[in-house]
Amino acid sequence: MDFLTNLGNGFSIALNPWNLIFAALGAVIGTAIGVLPGLGPPATVALLLPLTYKMDPTAAIIMLAGIFYGAMYGGSTTSILLNIPGEAASVVTCLDGYKMARQGRAGPALGISAMGSFIAGTISIFGLSLVAPTLASFALKFGPPEYFSLILLGLMMAVYLSEESIVKGLVMGGLGLLLGTVGIDPVLGATRFTFGLSRLTDGFDFVVVAMGLFGISEVLINLEAPEVRDIFKTALKRLLPTLEDWRRCWASVVRGSLLGFFIGVLPGGGAIISSFVSYAVEKRVSKHPEQFGKGAIEGVAAPESANNAASTSSFIPLLTLGIPGNATIAMIFVALMIHGIRPGPLLIQEHPNLFWGVVASMYIGNLMLLGLNLPLIGFWVRLLRVPYHFLAVVVVTICLIGAYSVKNSAFDVGMMVIFGVLGYFMRKGGFPPAPLILSMILGPILERSLQQSLISSGGEVSIFFEKPISAALLSVAAFLMLTPIFKRLWKRNALTNSP
Amino acid sequence: MKNLTDILGSLFLILLGIGAIIGAIGLRVGTPTEPQPGFFPFLSGAIIVILSSIIFVQGWLGRSKRRIGLGEIKRPAMLIAVLAAFVAVLEPLGYVLASPFLIAVVLRIMGIKSWRALLVTSLVLSIGTYLLFDWLLGITLPAGILTRFGL
Repeated sequence: MDFLTNLGNGFSIALNPWNLIFAALGAVIGTAIGVLPGLGPPATVALLLPLTYKMDPTAAIIMLAGIFYGAMYGGSTTSILLNIPGEAASVVTCLDGYKMARQGRAGPALGISAMGSFIAGTISIFGLSLVAPTLASFALKFGPPEYFSLILLGLMMAVYLSEESIVKGLVMGGLGLLLGTVGIDPVLGATRFTFGLSRLTDGFDFVVVAMGLFGISEVLINLEAPEVRDIFKTALKRLLPTLEDWRRCWASVVRGSLLGFFIGVLPGGGAIISSFVSYAVEKRVSKHPEQFGKGAIEGVAAPESANNAASTSSFIPLLTLGIPGNATIAMIFVALMIHGIRPGPLLIQEHPNLFWGVVASMYIGNLMLLGLNLPLIGFWVRLLRVPYHFLAVVVVTICLIGAYSVKNSAFDVGMMVIFGVLGYFMRKGGFPPAPLILSMILGPILERSLQQSLISSGGEVSIFFEKPISAALLSVAAFLMLTPIFKRLWKRNALTNSP
Repeated sequence: MKNLTDILGSLFLILLGIGAIIGAIGLRVGTPTEPQPGFFPFLSGAIIVILSSIIFVQGWLGRSKRRIGLGEIKRPAMLIAVLAAFVAVLEPLGYVLASPFLIAVVLRIMGIKSWRALLVTSLVLSIGTYLLFDWLLGITLPAGILTRFGL
């Protein structure tokens, strides 16, 4: 009955009035940025990090988590009504969601998104509270070689699962590792790559880097092509899906939730990839795949359930292994570090109130989001009338203030602008930013575990293959990297063999 | 067809990687049994150089899947210049004086032509953010030359 006592304790923390207010705040901000295209969850969490410095850590994480899963609720609105994804995890929702809106079924599409998200969120939180403590106690046995292999696998997964080119993703991972070495060496204490600038001795500040890479660069990209918004005007008479709708898609919601949960747990997995995978699966198992892309409600229900389940379950690798799997979770990793909490296998034991408080707040937050999204849908649609230039200028201003507030110096503001420009060119060249920020954060841990492993083995690299867990993790990583090559060879063979 | 963005991007990364390797050798690389501070940067630099070379070759042969032109560069370049100027004047001028100019110029770049709209938005937004962050949330913003007037 440990589980129930812990969860009960969590609810007593989450129901504290201030924590309730912060959960609601996170849900509202999350829905808003989910609805608004051009500002995603990683940038928003980075923007709000400086505000959480003085907050109680539990309240801070409750709010930031709320932003992440709240954005999953809001993202579908823009996809369905505008055919523009509100954020990246709702890209596939456009395919059938917008078609449904054109057929006069915007209401049920929005309704099933919100309800599917709620069901998925509930399943995923339950899974999180069940799996996390067990996984954490298992991870306690990990030594430096296991950690090294685990982090390597996590980074490889993040590259493999991103939609961009694998080589480009890996280069960004390498660049992140390099940028992570700037400052004082974690093992020997030497100063590296500071170019005589004393401000760089602590290394690059993650908040500053993330605001540049995700906030400023987004605005720069959007400057190129002014976006045309054409809100699909439709009477949102009934939001509730009919019984027939439910009969068609209840299984999609369940499949999406389970798939999303498992993809979120993978190191490197997350909401974006889960929505794509679950859409593909639905199309394959459907009895009428020809309706997909033409307004099939399953094509909305499954990815919207999956992305919400994955956003919740991607907290598992963070809270149990200390390994952030995607850019938003990476920002929450930074938030924990700022409050002096080390994410890792000991987190649940050392900070049970934080862990169980956040888990309980997710149940409450999902309930709030259901209330926020269904009856208030008209309000969120009106939010879309806010012109983009106004949103952009607010993003730029908050980025500038946020970067300044990290250390009260204009130097950091300049750094953020430099990373904004870097992120802009990266986006133009198809280089994904998420592997960069992940490996930058994990780089120092990777370096320490690599050196400790090598020292303990007397310089023998074989130590990573002799330990069973480490060997298993590394073989999965190697398999992931080799599959595209095998696929290509196989295709070539198939081509030469066919007449 | 050669892919220009990939060629330029990979060349930049190759140079950066070589720079990192040189820097790492300067820090002493050491051996796997006795890694020195340059060990890890050396590995990272090597990863960057090797993988960027693959991108370079693929771009040169025109094999990569994505092909993007340089696109419109004027407005982003203007925004970058404005942000750089803002960084330079932020501490001497102070937030309250520097931010309205920044906001007005950014809106102008984005195509807002009405002077009244520029004036109102920039003043409201900069004073609003100052009150919200400095007064309400306790984030100190640079006061700049206004401190001389006892503000």
